Amino acid sequence: MGKIKKVLSSSKMVTVVWVLGFIAVWEIGATIVGFTKRTPENVLPHIYQIFGSMFSTKLINGSQTALQLVLSNAGVTLLRAGIGLVIGAAIGFLLAVLMSRFKIVEKTIFPYLMIIQMIPILGMAPIILAITKDIDQSRIIIAAILTFYPVATNTLAGFKSVEKEKQDLMYSLAASRYQIYKKLLLPTSLPYLFSGLKIAAPMAITASILVDTLQGSGGLGTLLSQSLKHAMSIYVFWQIVFVSAAIGILSYNLMSLLEKITSPYAKNKKKGEIK
Amino acid sequence: MFGRKTAVEPRMTWEKNNEAAVGAEIKVENVSISFPNTANGEIIEALRNVDLTIERGQFISLVGPSGCGKTTLLRAIADLQQPTSGEISVRGQNPRDVRLQKKYGIVFQSPVLYDWRSVRRNVCMPMELMGLPKKHRTKMVTEMLDLVGLLDFGSKYPKELSGGMQQRVGIARALAIRPEILLMDEPFSALDEFTKEKLNEDLLEIWSKTKTTIVFVTHNISEAVFLSDKVVVLSPHPGRVSAVVDIDLPRPRTLDIKNEAEFGALVAKVRSSFEGV
Repeated sequence: MGKIKKVLSSSKMVTVVWVLGFIAVWEIGATIVGFTKRTPENVLPHIYQIFGSMFSTKLINGSQTALQLVLSNAGVTLLRAGIGLVIGAAIGFLLAVLMSRFKIVEKTIFPYLMIIQMIPILGMAPIILAITKDIDQSRIIIAAILTFYPVATNTLAGFKSVEKEKQDLMYSLAASRYQIYKKLLLPTSLPYLFSGLKIAAPMAITASILVDTLQGSGGLGTLLSQSLKHAMSIYVFWQIVFVSAAIGILSYNLMSLLEKITSPYAKNKKKGEIK
Repeated sequence: MFGRKTAVEPRMTWEKNNEAAVGAEIKVENVSISFPNTANGEIIEALRNVDLTIERGQFISLVGPSGCGKTTLLRAIADLQQPTSGEISVRGQNPRDVRLQKKYGIVFQSPVLYDWRSVRRNVCMPMELMGLPKKHRTKMVTEMLDLVGLLDFGSKYPKELSGGMQQRVGIARALAIRPEILLMDEPFSALDEFTKEKLNEDLLEIWSKTKTTIVFVTHNISEAVFLSDKVVVLSPHPGRVSAVVDIDLPRPRTLDIKNEAEFGALVAKVRSSFEGV
């Protein structure tokens, strides 16, 4: 009995149960919808239909299969989200450094930065587009705007989590500011920085897809709105949904992986000594 | 600022006697320290008119109940706290210059180790800050870990060590830059009695090898008497020096000395020196 309990409570098992549960609910829904005539046809198809369509070799735009089309657009989306994320994370990190260094910066700009976060992206997108007059640039900028805030807040929280005695130690050793950041503040705040990045990465992708839907020049969002308007292929839409979800989750996992590689705690954690 | 005559007078003559004999390492002259309470903004008078002379190579303890300003005094010597009035000089220089020359080693109440660094790299850290060559650092780390009895634990991480071992790492790190003055702020107060006594003995051995001046803050009278050449008794509200007791027990000392009548008499003498507790 105890063994079964242990297996059931392991995190892998939980994941499996969730996935199976999701598939079951989906299929029940698809079966029920299947009894009625699907109008339009892409309302909740069976999962096997969607995955089947991924392996279909039928060319849908003259040169690409549905999956090739979706993946090539996903690449465009990922690239923009990635550039936006890198820029946003860099700005967020710099802001955190400035705010930790100068109390006045924290007091004057930090509470107002949050306001930028409150503007819905869809409202912001046309404004940014009007300013940059370039859809590619505006997408990158919006991804950056969405990502800098979680990175900045989390990194700042990380800087602030440093114990006073550790600061005193650095002070008593007459460490330079650069040394204090490099040897103490940065290593301490890395786990915080990465929890910021884990929030920011999927957000950057969401932003990139959403902005794509506004004006088309490639990208998952553009394809998404096309697939809704024109019946390119009934399953292209669902492929996009699945691929978007997958790259969102992957972006999170990529950040976890990066954390493992760069974190000075990594070696420790592997040994299972530090929780 | 405050009437100096109200402070304890006999100590003054004692100070003068010793000053004549040996060059002072640390001189605290009429130091008062007040600061606002972080919680309610009320001004706390942590220290009032403190005079103290510490000679080179001495082991002295600041002992007293909480609120007596012993830690504040230590922090003032370390340049972590500025005196409101009065003056502190260390080898004729002000504490700030001494700090900038990296002549202080500090051991805190908690070990203050970097979790992400191995024991060796923790001990190495101050030397990295000083930009010492790697060869020298490696040699010193080995030497220091040997000194504190942790040579086999260099590749471990702090979380893998017991509290006593962590504190040893802290001591090794403080000593690695060969400080001229070692400041210790209740370093063993979080440890159990057995570990504490063992570390007390070890600390005396380390001290006899390094000949550093040690200023040791504690609230444990027996610990202070066991370790020190001189016990400075501080009393609270406001923090002030109420007595300085010379400990002329022979060295090297082992824990057995605690069973002797002389030791008990000195402990009693220190205990009777507290005022207004």
